[in-house]
Amino acid sequence: MSHIPPMPTMRDRTLKYLLVLPAVLVVFATAVWPLIESLRFSFYQGRTDRGDFPQNWLGFENYTWAFLYEPPFWNSVYVTGLYTVVTVVLTTAFALGLAMLLAPGGKLRSGVQTLLILPFAMSPALIGVSFRFMFNPEFGLFDAFFGVVFPPLADVSWLANPDLAFAVIVMADVWGWIPFLTLVLIGGLASVPQDTIEAAQVDGASGWRVFKDVTLPQLLPVLAVVIILKAIFSLKTFDQVFMLTNGGPGTATQTLSHYIYITSTRYGQVGYAASVAWLMVIPMMVLTYFYAKFVFKKDDGA
Amino acid sequence: MAEIRLKNLTKRWGDFIGVDDQSLDIHDEEFLVLLGPSGCGKTTTMRMIAGLEDPTAGEIWIGDRMVNDDLPKDRDVAMVFQNYGLYPHMTIYDNIAYPLKVRGTPKADIKPRVERAAEQVELTEFLHRKPKALSGGQRQRVALARAIVRTPKVFLMDEPLSNLDAKLRVTMRAELKHLSRALQITTVYVTHDQIEAMTLADRVAVMRHGIIQQLGTPDDIYNDPANMFVAGFIGSPAMNLINGSVQSGMFITTGGTKLVGIGGPDRESAILGVRADDMSVHDAGEGDIDVTIYAFENTGESTLLTVQWGKQRVIARGDRHLRKEQDDVVGIKLNPDHLYLFDPESGDRIRMGGA
Amino acid sequence: MTDQTTPEIELSEAQASEFWTGKRKQRFWRSIQAILIVLAAFVMLVPIIWIFLASFKSHVEVYQLRLFFTPTLENYGTVFEEPYNLGAKLYNSTIVAFVTVAFAIPIATMAAYSFSRFRLKFETTILVVILATQFVPAVVIILPFFIMFRDLGLLDTRIGLIMVNLAIVMPFAIWMIKGFIDGIPMDTEEAAMVDGSSRLQVIKNIVLPMAAPGLVTASIFCFILAWNEFLFALFLTNRDAVTLPIGLALFRGEEGDLWNLLSAAGIIIMAPMFVLALAIRKYFVQGMTMGAVR
Ligand SMILES: Nc1ncnc2c1ncn2[C@@H]1O[C@H](COP(=O)(O)OP(=O)(O)O)[C@@H](O)[C@H]1O
Ligand SMILES: [Mg+2]
Repeated sequence: MSHIPPMPTMRDRTLKYLLVLPAVLVVFATAVWPLIESLRFSFYQGRTDRGDFPQNWLGFENYTWAFLYEPPFWNSVYVTGLYTVVTVVLTTAFALGLAMLLAPGGKLRSGVQTLLILPFAMSPALIGVSFRFMFNPEFGLFDAFFGVVFPPLADVSWLANPDLAFAVIVMADVWGWIPFLTLVLIGGLASVPQDTIEAAQVDGASGWRVFKDVTLPQLLPVLAVVIILKAIFSLKTFDQVFMLTNGGPGTATQTLSHYIYITSTRYGQVGYAASVAWLMVIPMMVLTYFYAKFVFKKDDGA
Repeated sequence: MAEIRLKNLTKRWGDFIGVDDQSLDIHDEEFLVLLGPSGCGKTTTMRMIAGLEDPTAGEIWIGDRMVNDDLPKDRDVAMVFQNYGLYPHMTIYDNIAYPLKVRGTPKADIKPRVERAAEQVELTEFLHRKPKALSGGQRQRVALARAIVRTPKVFLMDEPLSNLDAKLRVTMRAELKHLSRALQITTVYVTHDQIEAMTLADRVAVMRHGIIQQLGTPDDIYNDPANMFVAGFIGSPAMNLINGSVQSGMFITTGGTKLVGIGGPDRESAILGVRADDMSVHDAGEGDIDVTIYAFENTGESTLLTVQWGKQRVIARGDRHLRKEQDDVVGIKLNPDHLYLFDPESGDRIRMGGA
Repeated sequence: MTDQTTPEIELSEAQASEFWTGKRKQRFWRSIQAILIVLAAFVMLVPIIWIFLASFKSHVEVYQLRLFFTPTLENYGTVFEEPYNLGAKLYNSTIVAFVTVAFAIPIATMAAYSFSRFRLKFETTILVVILATQFVPAVVIILPFFIMFRDLGLLDTRIGLIMVNLAIVMPFAIWMIKGFIDGIPMDTEEAAMVDGSSRLQVIKNIVLPMAAPGLVTASIFCFILAWNEFLFALFLTNRDAVTLPIGLALFRGEEGDLWNLLSAAGIIIMAPMFVLALAIRKYFVQGMTMGAVR
């Protein structure tokens, strides 16, 4: 922290805690309490079709049930894992490329940078809708596009095929996240000193080597933050999946969030859903730990 | 080793002209300094030689090759940047080795050459450190080592000393001079500091508004300025410039009627230039003119007298033992061999009859 | 080094015979880059343009892939009529987003000021916890609220929705506003205190006016988050408190999706957010990463 706090007066000493109290209470009530309460639920039988809630104490039975007897759980773990890896890799790679293209500035480039804000202000649910529309096999955009460019692909029922449906939700997610990651990476590139890049050019490095030896290593901290952030949001994915495929066909695109939604609302198994939800919290905590480490390391350095 | 030729070199950004149709020949093994106030186009000129900036028009030749279409990496130049441009994620060793590495120098050759370069700039003990762990002067030396580790055709240095404190700057200036004489490689050196230019250069090109005002040896530039700008820019304190006219071989200041013999034809208006060092201080009545002291300053190695001459103030340098008070009257004598006359409109030098 | 003369000559001969050298190659790459940039911009806009166009097509034309069609505003009328009644959803979304922001921003500002200007016990811990809550999966948070609201009769109410939306908005608001206040130099405040202001007067007279652009930015950012929120509304609402994103599901009729109406509704949802996002575009990225990336 760069500034030195002024000498606190007696009143400041209580005031400073009074000021944070409402915020801490709200955060506690809306995030910390539900987190703990979910953990409690996860040890009970918690069906919503009974009068009282939760019902019997089950210990770890919900967890063992998920691990041992629920193929759909493992399916959604697999889908979520694959989805996270693929979207993180693709989004980061495309965003890095686009950031390199757009970073130099100028009229065209800054115009495009402004446009990039639009997809990010679009709700993920709506992105799901628009992609479902575009991939409609009879009158979607891709139908028309392939009808001209590559007819064999024209009448493919994208969302009826498990692999293609997965590809489509990945595409929608990548499309929605590239702009934001690009803008962050442009910021990161701007903080790489220009003279180190020019020094490398004069020293004899080709474009690729300048990037590999000088730009990329200096961009690494920003890149790490970007990757962690994207991984966190990929793990949580729900909105687009719900709107685009609703987990289908079958359970081919069912992410963990969607699985929890289905078990808790359609089957009323809130206790069991809570245990699966908590299994999701664990990788999230690990990622958050690294994210926080980066955030606070930056702070100290400044 | 190579000579550099700039032919009608121009750089424009929209309507703004950074470098205006300049031609310049830099000799093989010469140390050429581009000198001028900030924003006059020195860096731009140098960056065009390096290939970091594309000229709007004109040609750049290094040796017998027109390099306009070559990338910086293919021009075989080494550059020291104003902020050094050190690679923060590499050790000092790797920083210095980088130009060799990217050019595919065999590993076995790299180590001795890096060590030799480090030795030349006295950095041997710091090779394993990162730039962050070095002082400003040490970083500057790393930048220098990175340039001299190869033997390029040309050295380019953009205000390499400007980020150092005053004392270190003097030390590094001497080291740089020593090194450049030892290496004998064509060097283009950019600075706005006239002392650096005078002490380091074989020749100086004084620039203003993207145009080279004068090209010459430090002696030429100091003793025979081509125009009022060069005269005023070189020397400390700056040359006194006094408004007046020439009548029957005498210079007469505006307002006052003080006379100095300079010869030459009559002129309605002219500007007389005289350096503080070319005025000697005497007792009242014993000089060419009598003037009142406006301020008296003792700098230790000499004294500076700001005096009221007619409606203007001029600065004269006095002996280090001289002691005067404000409002004292003294006589000033001008050295007739070192008086310069300028046209107030164009700023051009008016050559006097005798000179 | 004398050995450098030989390769130099070879180089210039080779380069003279080869057209694609140095800067010329670079210039060629620059044109390729321009093409790639335009292409990327196009890809980024296609889904938006696609929806935009479809929203002006009649329900017959939307099933025919025609580039040229007679634009009609009919869809924008239909979505507000029975049985779709998008007006009610628009009302719900607006109220929920507004009230969420109206609660969150003052509370967050107070806390942000304290975090920025004072040393608190457990300050780092509290800040990390606040940061971390942003990453808790929404499905984890919603389950207890779902049960609690069911018992309290708060399901399908705007109040319930506002309460859970605070969970999303608060961490962003606190971190973002803290960042803005960190950027306000301290000396103005100290001068005011030396001149005799109390701490609260300083906050009111100095900090709030100076932080105003930041507060507006944070408000807009949080408004967009609340407006686009989907999962909470999906769990908690079914008729009375349905918001716009959930309202999209209404347009899945018996005979499939009503694309022209979906598109019109989509435009109604995203157009105001585009305007808001463009208004604060300078701070948008900063808001998302909360100063982690600079
Ligand atoms: N990329 C650029 N775009 C527009 N103007 C520039 C650019 N780079 C430099 N200039 C302008 O060109 C002039 C000369 O700059 P420069 O060569 O850096 O001056 P200096 O002599 O101080 O090194 C300055 O007025 C500067 O503002
Ligand atoms: Mg410069």
